[in-house]
Amino acid sequence: MEESQSYIEFILDGNVCRLDFHAEGVSPTTTLLKYLRSLPNHKGAKEGCAEGDCGACTVVLAELSQGGNLQYKAVNSCLIFLPVVHGKQIITIENLEKDGRLHPIQLAYYDHHASQCGYCTPGFIMTTFPLYKSAIKLDDEKIRHELAGNLCRCTGYKPIIDATKSTCSNPTKDHFSEEEGSIKKLLNEIKNNSKGIYISGNGQVYYSPKSLADVLKYRAENSDTLIISGATDIALQVTKKHEKLAHILDLSQISELKSFQKKQNEISIGSGLPLSEIKDLVKEEFPVLAEMLHWFGSTQIRNLATLGGNIVSASPIGDSLPVLMAYKAQIVLQSVDGERIVPVENFISGYRKTVLAENEIVTRIIIPKTGEGIIVRFYKNSKRNDLDISSVSAAFRVKLNQNKIVDIAIYYGGMAATPVKAIKTEASLFNNEWNKKTVEEAILILSEEFKPISDARAEAAGRRIMAGNLLLKFWFDTTKNHHR
Amino acid sequence: MNNKEKHESGLLHVTGKAVYIDDMPELPGLLHGFVFTSSVASGRIFSFNIEKAKAVPGIEAILCYRDIPGENQMGPVIHDEPALAEETLECIGQAIFLIAATSENTGREALRLIEIEIEESPAILTIDDAISARNLLQPPRKIECGSVEKGLAEAENYLEGKFETGAQEHWYLETQVAMAIPGEGQEMKVFASTQHPSETQALVAEVLDIPKNQVEVEIRRMGGAFGGKETQANHVSVWAALLANATGKPVKLRLSRDEDQIMTGKRHPFLINYKVAFTGKGKIAALDVELNANAGYATDLSMAILERAMFHATNAYYIPNVRIVGKAWKTNQMSNTAFRGFGGPQGIAAIENIIDRISRKLGKDPAEIRYLNFFGMKERNITPYQQKVKNNRLHVLWEKLIHSSNYSERRKSINVFNAENEFLKRGLALSPVQFGISFTTSFLNQAGALVNIYKDGSVLVNHGGTEMGQGLHTKIRQIAALELGISIDQVKVTATNTSKVPNTSATAASSGSDLNGMAVKDAISKLKKRIGESIAKILSEKYGYSCNSEKLIFKNNFIWDQPFKERKISFNDAVLQAYFNQESLSATGFYKTPNIHFDKVKGIGHPFHYYAFGMAVSEVELDVLTGHHRILRTDILHDAGNSINEALDIGQIEGGFIQGVGWVTSEECKWDSKGNLLNHSPDTYKIPGINDIPEIFNVELLKGYPNPNTIRQSKAVGEPPFMLALSVWLAIKDAVSAVGDHKIEPDLNIPATHEKILMASEKIKQEIQQL
Ligand SMILES: Cc1cc2nc3c(=O)[nH]c(=O)nc-3n(C[C@H](O)[C@H](O)[C@H](O)COP(=O)(O)OP(=O)(O)OC[C@H]3O[C@@H](n4cnc5c(N)ncnc54)[C@H](O)[C@@H]3O)c2cc1C
Ligand code: FES
Ligand code: FES
Repeated sequence: MEESQSYIEFILDGNVCRLDFHAEGVSPTTTLLKYLRSLPNHKGAKEGCAEGDCGACTVVLAELSQGGNLQYKAVNSCLIFLPVVHGKQIITIENLEKDGRLHPIQLAYYDHHASQCGYCTPGFIMTTFPLYKSAIKLDDEKIRHELAGNLCRCTGYKPIIDATKSTCSNPTKDHFSEEEGSIKKLLNEIKNNSKGIYISGNGQVYYSPKSLADVLKYRAENSDTLIISGATDIALQVTKKHEKLAHILDLSQISELKSFQKKQNEISIGSGLPLSEIKDLVKEEFPVLAEMLHWFGSTQIRNLATLGGNIVSASPIGDSLPVLMAYKAQIVLQSVDGERIVPVENFISGYRKTVLAENEIVTRIIIPKTGEGIIVRFYKNSKRNDLDISSVSAAFRVKLNQNKIVDIAIYYGGMAATPVKAIKTEASLFNNEWNKKTVEEAILILSEEFKPISDARAEAAGRRIMAGNLLLKFWFDTTKNHHR
Repeated sequence: MNNKEKHESGLLHVTGKAVYIDDMPELPGLLHGFVFTSSVASGRIFSFNIEKAKAVPGIEAILCYRDIPGENQMGPVIHDEPALAEETLECIGQAIFLIAATSENTGREALRLIEIEIEESPAILTIDDAISARNLLQPPRKIECGSVEKGLAEAENYLEGKFETGAQEHWYLETQVAMAIPGEGQEMKVFASTQHPSETQALVAEVLDIPKNQVEVEIRRMGGAFGGKETQANHVSVWAALLANATGKPVKLRLSRDEDQIMTGKRHPFLINYKVAFTGKGKIAALDVELNANAGYATDLSMAILERAMFHATNAYYIPNVRIVGKAWKTNQMSNTAFRGFGGPQGIAAIENIIDRISRKLGKDPAEIRYLNFFGMKERNITPYQQKVKNNRLHVLWEKLIHSSNYSERRKSINVFNAENEFLKRGLALSPVQFGISFTTSFLNQAGALVNIYKDGSVLVNHGGTEMGQGLHTKIRQIAALELGISIDQVKVTATNTSKVPNTSATAASSGSDLNGMAVKDAISKLKKRIGESIAKILSEKYGYSCNSEKLIFKNNFIWDQPFKERKISFNDAVLQAYFNQESLSATGFYKTPNIHFDKVKGIGHPFHYYAFGMAVSEVELDVLTGHHRILRTDILHDAGNSINEALDIGQIEGGFIQGVGWVTSEECKWDSKGNLLNHSPDTYKIPGINDIPEIFNVELLKGYPNPNTIRQSKAVGEPPFMLALSVWLAIKDAVSAVGDHKIEPDLNIPATHEKILMASEKIKQEIQQL
């Protein structure tokens, strides 16, 4: 590749490090966790699962925001391919201590007896770090929510919550505050000097371009590329299935895909915007989307995962799809030939299949504002509320005219090979009164409409009950609100 | 001394500097070990071809059972567990080949290239299958007292039923790992994440066919264990040692999370059948209970676990006529193993569910029925196995907790809440635990220690116990410092090592500090005697009197004569004087628990040194439409005797309780019809997360009740709190029961997942419609 480099640059231990994949014979799909643990002085990050579910591997990535600030984000280092850290600062547990003095978070964990076996501790502390730096007000609920991506099998969590609360309620300037200016400068230099990253060898090609134009051109010329955005889905093929990924097109450095636009009648969300950044932007006009994002994965997952990735995964239990369907969202696809717009309902063509053409990528998701009097809700039923994949999920849209149903849309996840619209159930409700009796009748129809499967998460019979109950819950929640 | 002393590794934990086995520097030439395992639950190996796999560059050895120099055995008690399968395959995940590779990628590639032809045969996958096939592991065990037949025949009230508890995966954060390093000659050093280094040492020696003195096993700390590394940590050590022996190079073997979940045993699933007779007031008159355990394919510790389940099948209750039959069934699953509570939870769950049913049947509050049936203080205090319950704390715990948890008021407001809400139901429950402390295999109740004092006064303590996070080394350090009267900073507890203290028992059965603390105390009392004699001589000369060495006090870094406080010498000076006096400053210590015995045939004896007591009250709120519950509040009052370290003990209680909450709620293991475990990663196996703990969580220790005859009058605390989580399960059941206005017995087993709760609620709704 012309105009490209085979190395990445990042900041570790305060210094700019250059890692040349060719020269050092490192595979580009090496995870950040594996890399750190191969170094003599970075064994604090642990592998507990290699799939994003335990948080023991958590480190913090500091990166320049679009406004030029340093943003600290906790991430699962087990899910990050090395080229993704290009232009970022990696902060590990080893970096918190400075000149033999513990960081206040470390002291708090120590003082509160927040470690027993200690294996989970570095991960918890690193998830706490961005909270500490953000200086937002934290109550117990917020702390629990933020730390839900970390598992501890020993303590029962209480001392961890107490430690986090005590240290984050009174953050002081730490050595990171002092170094912020110089770090920003270094990161800017890396950014300004870097070209696209192209690594080829040992049966693998990895391309991480800098611009959307480069992406589209490359995509047009290479039909066999595997796209990654946050890689929270794709990384598992490496860490769990131990596959060698042959040809990767990495979109994580493309700022055009991280856009967010608010227009009069709609919003447009860049396919590569991390979920954690979407939530605050949409919570007023699309509260149900924000609610869905609240329960999506964990802090660390939301910091990596993207809406584009969730949609293109086309998983029957992907959380965004039913919601986007209820909001009548549209997917913008782009190739060298131009753009086309597909309603999300038409985008999914089968089990984990979409209508995406070989030369296309998803660039944006457009969500029109809901009209007057339209109620939308989303429900996720999973075994554990936090950091779990839905057994059954449901998104509903209803419009009532004097309690008569004049518009109804019902979408389920987990009931079939794709997210599905419950057409028969909708039909039985349409034009009827919105009351318990009609809902209960509709549930009888619903119980015949789909043939869900039994798997590790739930049984077919359980899924049927869940689906029906969610409709009842929706009815109940809407009427409860009316009474208020 | 601060009895909230911090964890001795706390600073290392929070800085990421604590070294676990996978963090140790890798020696040059270190190879990575991999295990090729069975993909069928039952079958015969027909043929195999490892040539292609061997040809992968970087593969240095592929071993099968024929390459084992010694005995092909890893069974800890009964030798029915081969290190590598020979011809027969008995479960999915059973080891067949071992691979040593220069890197992870090459090792994984070789795994894919091994070709094997297997003749599959029908598998026994459940307890029901095993019962039909009469596949008992060993003859049934029985504990019996009074006359059950008579008691049941004369029953005023009678119930019978069936109840199940599920498997539970340990989910220690650090998966199984060992590193074996060949030394000169036959030597083999193994760094192993094991709760039982002596057994690891023994098995490594046996498979390699070398004397045990050639094998040294060391463990500084584990990243959690919970029983899962009591026997099953031996496997990875044995495999690593076989590969290290074959290649002459160091080998590290660490299981991935999926491998760990698939290959290692779990908490035994139980199927419980029972018949119970009780009076109109709710006093239990007779109990006939059969405990069926799914042992998996090998014996492992199943018989001891079954036995403990039997001991605990009456929990805190006196029942005059009892028959407890225990059966362990052999199935084609991974061999189930020790897990915090060791059968106790299953036995206790059985009786707690029965009491719950009795209360519902009689329309009485279950907390009252529990109280009514508690072991008495002076009478009604003999267990079915004829041990007298002494120092009974049940009544004091009950009274204090009912009061502090505001139980009765909350019961009333819950009733109001439930009447007002159709889709939300609340439930409340109290549950006690009375847990017998000691290894029930009597000879295991022994421990050793080695204490060295160096010339500068610093003290090094080694003992047979292992550190898995529970804080054992912290307590031992406190004990040593207290006994020597010096500051804790002067004492260091080292890694557990079989060459320092030999022939140790596993760190298990909550006995770590009880046994090892006593052994350390024994060693220290020898050292104090030696130092004391030197000092007595010096003081006698200096002050011109006859100092009695036995009267010397060791305290505050000084040693002084009891009647003459000013006649003193600093500990450090005393040590130096003893050295000049040519006294040995190194001593071993030993302890065996007195008076422990049990006759397995008669089912009679005195298996426990004492009982640990605890009690919990939990309240939950159930969303009837989703099956989700929130634990609104839990109050725990626990008896740890005179706590050696309150912070550590509270940590054990909270952590054990939450682990128990996982067992009774979200942790579910399912297998497909071929015997494949479906929930083999945290993606689908859900341990409690930070939001699953009680919203209000009050944990207190019972104060003012010292335990006679134990180290510093303390009590074991590792396991008992686990079972307090049954209060959550019972509260959930109470809430489900409220769906039918408490008229219908909910059909709920363990675990009560959101799905199972929904099914049970649904069933009640349908039954009500039919009423
Ligand atoms: C621990 C954990 C928890 C999770 N929790 C949830 C959850 O609660 N709910 C849920 O729905 N999912 C969950 N997931 C699944 C996953 O995180 C999401 O699907 C996520 O949104 C994927 O986004 P990504 O950017 O990481 O995708 P990637 O892994 O980068 O890509 C996913 C797929 O989309 C394609 N793709 C990505 N971007 C584009 C693009 N712009 N154009 C075309 N194709 C593209 C990729 O080729 C790939 O096929 C979880 C995953 C993990 C590991
Ligand atoms: S190792 Fe478990 S989340 Fe990364
Ligand atoms: S302290 Fe052991 S897992 Fe958290």
